[in-house]
Amino acid sequence: MSKEEKKPFRETVAGWRRFCYNPRSGEIMGRTAKSWGLILLFYAVFYGFLAALFTFTMWVMLQTLSDDIPKYRDRISSPGLMISPKPDTALEFSFNKSDNSSYQVYVDVLKNFLTSYGDSKQSRNINCASGRFFEQNEVADKQACRFNLSNLGPCSGQEDDSFGYSKGTPCVIVKMNRIIGLKPEGNPYINCKTKVKVLASLFDQKTDQAQLTYFPPGGTIDLMYFPYYGKKLHANYLQPLVAVQLAANSSNTKDDVTIECKIEGSPNLRNHDDRDKFLGRIAFKFQISE
Amino acid sequence: LFQKRADIYSVEIHGSKDLEKVDKGDEKENYKDLKGNRKKSKKQDDLRKELDLDDHKLSNEELEEKYSTSITKGLTSAKAAEILARDGPNALTPPKSTPEIIKFLKQMVGGFSLLLWAGALLCWIAFGIQFAQGVPSARDNLYLGIVLALVVILTGIFAYYQEAKSTNIMASFSKMIPQQALVLRNAEKKEISAEELVVGDIVEVKGGDRIPADIRIIFSQGCKVDNSSLTGESEPQSRSCEFTHDNPLETKNVAFYSTTCLEGTATGIVINTGDNTIIGRIASLASGVGNEKTPIALEIEHFVHIVAGVAISIVVLFFVIAVSMHYAVLDSIIFLIGIIVANVPEGLLATVTVSLSLTAKRMSKKNCLVKNLEAVETLGSTSIICSDKTGTLTQNRMTVAHLWFDNQIFSADTSEDQECQTFDQSSGTWSALSKIVTLCNRAEFRPGQEDTPIMKRIVVGDASETALLKFSEVILNDVMGVRTRNKKVTEIPFNSTNKFQLSIHETDDPNDKRFLLVMKGAPERILERCSTIMINGKEEPLDKERAEAFQTAYMEMGGLGERVLGFCHLYLPEDEFPDTYPFDTDSMNFPTSNLCFVGLLSMIDPPRSTVPDAVSKCRSAGIKVIMVTGDHPITAKAIAKSVGIISATSETVEDIAKRLNIPVEQVNKRDAKAAVVNGMELKDMTLEQLDDILANHSEIVFARTSPQQKLIIVEGCQRQDAVVAVTGDGVNDSPALKKADIGIAMGIAGSDAAKNAADMILLDDNFASIVTGVEEGRLIFDNLKKTIAYTLTKNIAELCPFLIYIIASIPLPIGTITILFIDLGTDIIPSVALAYEKAERDIMNRKPRHKKKDRLVNEQLAVYSYLQIGLLQSLGAFLAYFTVYAEQGFLPYTLLNIRTRWEDHSNNDLEDSYGQEWTMYQRTYLQWNGYTAFFVSITIQQVADLIIRKTRRNSIFQQGLFRNKVIWVGIFSQIAIALILCYGLGSVAALNFTPLRFQYWFVAMPYAILIWVYDEFRKLFIRQYPGSWWDKNMYY
Repeated sequence: MSKEEKKPFRETVAGWRRFCYNPRSGEIMGRTAKSWGLILLFYAVFYGFLAALFTFTMWVMLQTLSDDIPKYRDRISSPGLMISPKPDTALEFSFNKSDNSSYQVYVDVLKNFLTSYGDSKQSRNINCASGRFFEQNEVADKQACRFNLSNLGPCSGQEDDSFGYSKGTPCVIVKMNRIIGLKPEGNPYINCKTKVKVLASLFDQKTDQAQLTYFPPGGTIDLMYFPYYGKKLHANYLQPLVAVQLAANSSNTKDDVTIECKIEGSPNLRNHDDRDKFLGRIAFKFQISE
Repeated sequence: LFQKRADIYSVEIHGSKDLEKVDKGDEKENYKDLKGNRKKSKKQDDLRKELDLDDHKLSNEELEEKYSTSITKGLTSAKAAEILARDGPNALTPPKSTPEIIKFLKQMVGGFSLLLWAGALLCWIAFGIQFAQGVPSARDNLYLGIVLALVVILTGIFAYYQEAKSTNIMASFSKMIPQQALVLRNAEKKEISAEELVVGDIVEVKGGDRIPADIRIIFSQGCKVDNSSLTGESEPQSRSCEFTHDNPLETKNVAFYSTTCLEGTATGIVINTGDNTIIGRIASLASGVGNEKTPIALEIEHFVHIVAGVAISIVVLFFVIAVSMHYAVLDSIIFLIGIIVANVPEGLLATVTVSLSLTAKRMSKKNCLVKNLEAVETLGSTSIICSDKTGTLTQNRMTVAHLWFDNQIFSADTSEDQECQTFDQSSGTWSALSKIVTLCNRAEFRPGQEDTPIMKRIVVGDASETALLKFSEVILNDVMGVRTRNKKVTEIPFNSTNKFQLSIHETDDPNDKRFLLVMKGAPERILERCSTIMINGKEEPLDKERAEAFQTAYMEMGGLGERVLGFCHLYLPEDEFPDTYPFDTDSMNFPTSNLCFVGLLSMIDPPRSTVPDAVSKCRSAGIKVIMVTGDHPITAKAIAKSVGIISATSETVEDIAKRLNIPVEQVNKRDAKAAVVNGMELKDMTLEQLDDILANHSEIVFARTSPQQKLIIVEGCQRQDAVVAVTGDGVNDSPALKKADIGIAMGIAGSDAAKNAADMILLDDNFASIVTGVEEGRLIFDNLKKTIAYTLTKNIAELCPFLIYIIASIPLPIGTITILFIDLGTDIIPSVALAYEKAERDIMNRKPRHKKKDRLVNEQLAVYSYLQIGLLQSLGAFLAYFTVYAEQGFLPYTLLNIRTRWEDHSNNDLEDSYGQEWTMYQRTYLQWNGYTAFFVSITIQQVADLIIRKTRRNSIFQQGLFRNKVIWVGIFSQIAIALILCYGLGSVAALNFTPLRFQYWFVAMPYAILIWVYDEFRKLFIRQYPGSWWDKNMYY
């Protein structure tokens, strides 16, 4: 706008005041009270109608869906891997084995996570035949297979309250994401690789392997836990777990241990995807100090 | 005559002083443009100073010395080149234009660019912070910022290119007619481009040429020039080498650049070239007159303000909401980017430009060449046209309009392409009259034009004689033959003291040895010399009664504003004037009295045949047509009446006074619809009086006006809040052309200065072309409204996702990049297609829009687009979004408040409504799927939006669904682009598109249909209940 068009400030203020309330025509913000009333009424009716319409169309859409299984499952054809406990940031565990407050949070999470696997919770679950799928397509009341916590050995929390964290041998539970109807082929198992960055000196860095122990042995995932029939039909379903325990490595302190776990042994469970770093694999890091 | 001319010149020279006086006298807003320009008064000083030109007083020898040239040899090529290097080419510098880089940068910061720059900046800030934090997706923001910057730069380049293109049209246009000059150099005559002329060159001009520079005449033979482009006075003036007046403008021995040599030849020394010429200096005055912002530019500015205002208030509001909802500042910034991008219609300004240039193209096909794209619309909002008379309203050539013989007035055909005359030609008087008209005429057709229609042939001779020649050629078909058969014995050419022209001929009848003396001239002078009058082929005594009849006819024809000539003849008795009689024109040894009066012929520059219709169209379109001319009031009024500028029933104050027989002062001025204002009266008027005239008379003619007065009239009209169009051709018109909201120059008759100052050029000089222009202008205004309404609608559908995302913490329904693909991808062609929409009803039957009340984007348009259709669209799109998520396992209630977990990169086992667990990437892919569904839904609903925007009040079925084929091209392109993005580029991760299940294309369809049905009802109610609450609130 050119300079000449600028009105004096007083005039502008007066103009605004007149816009807010014009005593001559009784207009508030350019409309009379009656006009405001009408327009608001119109919009109330109009929006009321729109709200009803939207609700109706949503309702119609939801009617087409089944309560039991989602209409499409093509976006999750292969499961991701996840661990428990899960550190808040970036899957990096960092604790001092002699300071129990530094790892208490992990222990609590693990305990909490494993409560649903407690014997009392699994009272209605049945023991299934190991090594083959537990199909119950025809059955209306779907049973869940029992997963014994004892499978997890020292990582079950039954023997060691601190899941090994106090000894510098922390347990991590690796689980495969639940996917309705997924049937792994072959004999899937969890296999992890470790990478240890040893800070012997500034110029002498070398990587080393750390020892891992798997529970159940070999990190196997039993096929009897598949397929999954969904939250509603398969209410008591428990997904199989694999515990991974980092062996004590007393010589080196303040080591960075990177662990990458993959699901292997099953051709239809993908464990390598350029974009999805969690599809059939997971990487996490331990930094244990004394 | 001389006195009169001097008067006009003084108006011209002191005219600039007049303006200054007004400046000082009226310090109010009205004259800020002139007042604001100090440079201009300096220029005026220059003008006055350099008018002290004394070349006209010098003798040829002194001139030769002054310019170191030789009258016989001219300059040497070397010398000429040297002077050319010093003075520059002999051409008017076009008005100083803004440097290209400034123009370009202006495009970069104009309109929405600043908002987008802000968005880009926020992106980079977000990238900086995220990058420092090591967030893996930080680069997305970097790329988004780059994309936004690219959008700004590309649209800027596009707008700049469009502007440059229209400027180029102009440039190529003015280069179309290169002017040549015949110059004497190195003692050789040669043709060079007029631009290469330098001071001191000896040039030759002949009839028909344009004077190539200011020249001091050193030799002339019957040279006459038309100074109308300089003074507005169309009377030809003779030029000779005598020094006749102190004032260089009035002396006869100077001819001015860009005036036309009508007849004769002349040789002269170039004394001024290019911008130093008188015309050059007047033209540079025009550049001092400020350029008004075009109405459409103001409208677009207004619209940008609205959209930017909405954007900024939403941005601020939601920033506050986001922060108070404890979102991190960084997240809030990212929201802002989305809101800005969603709110700004990135492609719209480019679309507007394209629409305007399409119209400009269409107009240039109809002979309206648009120089300034925005002027396309200005013509549509024009409420007053100040039209020049000569050449625009009239044919710019004298034509015989009426004849009087046998006591009867006959009308002649004055149309442009007359081939025969239909009045009664059986009378003997007519054959006598036609003989005089044919013989007593020095004008001749240039040879070699037998195939051209008579009216288009080029004639050597002055305007009246040309008119008579063509008139008789149309009737007799063999004027030259008649002339050869009636051999001319002697003649006395017309001169201003005698006021008659006479010639003596042998007759074509071999048995008749008499000579025939024919004479024409000013009617009263001719009548004085007559004693008899021819009635029905017989000579009868000219008694008092007959003389009175003559007077009545003369007055009547004169009252029509026509130039009347009287004709008489005499057969010289054979015994007194034998074959060998030595006629001597000096001693006049033959009778020049007691002749036989034959008849009167009147001529006028007749209106173009298309003009009356065009004027009445303007009138029904609510446009006031004001005639502003330098011509006599009577002629002006006559033409005004014949073209309908003054309608048949309306009267001026003077007419009423005459009818009621009372003095002019007693007439109630409000009774008179029409007014004819003389330039002399105008000079003494105060601005209030002028305003009063402009406001209270609907039919106005300004006669005898000077260029400065033209400017004052234009300003007066603008004070009435009118959008004023001015037509003009001369240099003297250029200030008014510039001042006008839209200046229209004549393409054929127009001078370069006028064309430079104008926004539009009428290639055929035809007033009727203005009417088509008005129509196109109004159409494009309506269509731009539709385009904008169409474009704004989906902004809400793009904005709502962000708002819901912030408030309900659902996964983001549509990405920023996706929005850009709508704004700059699918929507572009359809919104341009709306520019091809036909008018809904007769746009030429409504009033021009009021500059301040009828906005391009009004409250109704914004509210209807944003709050009604936009919202409907959002609902449709959200339905598709929820459908995609629900069918994959995330039911709507699960999505609420899921955002933090959804966007947590380390959370790779997010549980859906069915107990399945999703990794981050799987979710992201689903989110993109959601983007695509949202995008597709908006696209589908935009198709419905496009169809409803075809009309604003008519039903689609009234308008015809298939009449505008381009709309369908738009629809298909829209869908094709969406298909390509979806299925073709679905694999390119950076674009965030995924292939989509086919049925999702139809989810929003019910909403699309609802949009259309609802809008049909809206239009139905508007048509059914005009003026109702619905009409007022729903019609945009």
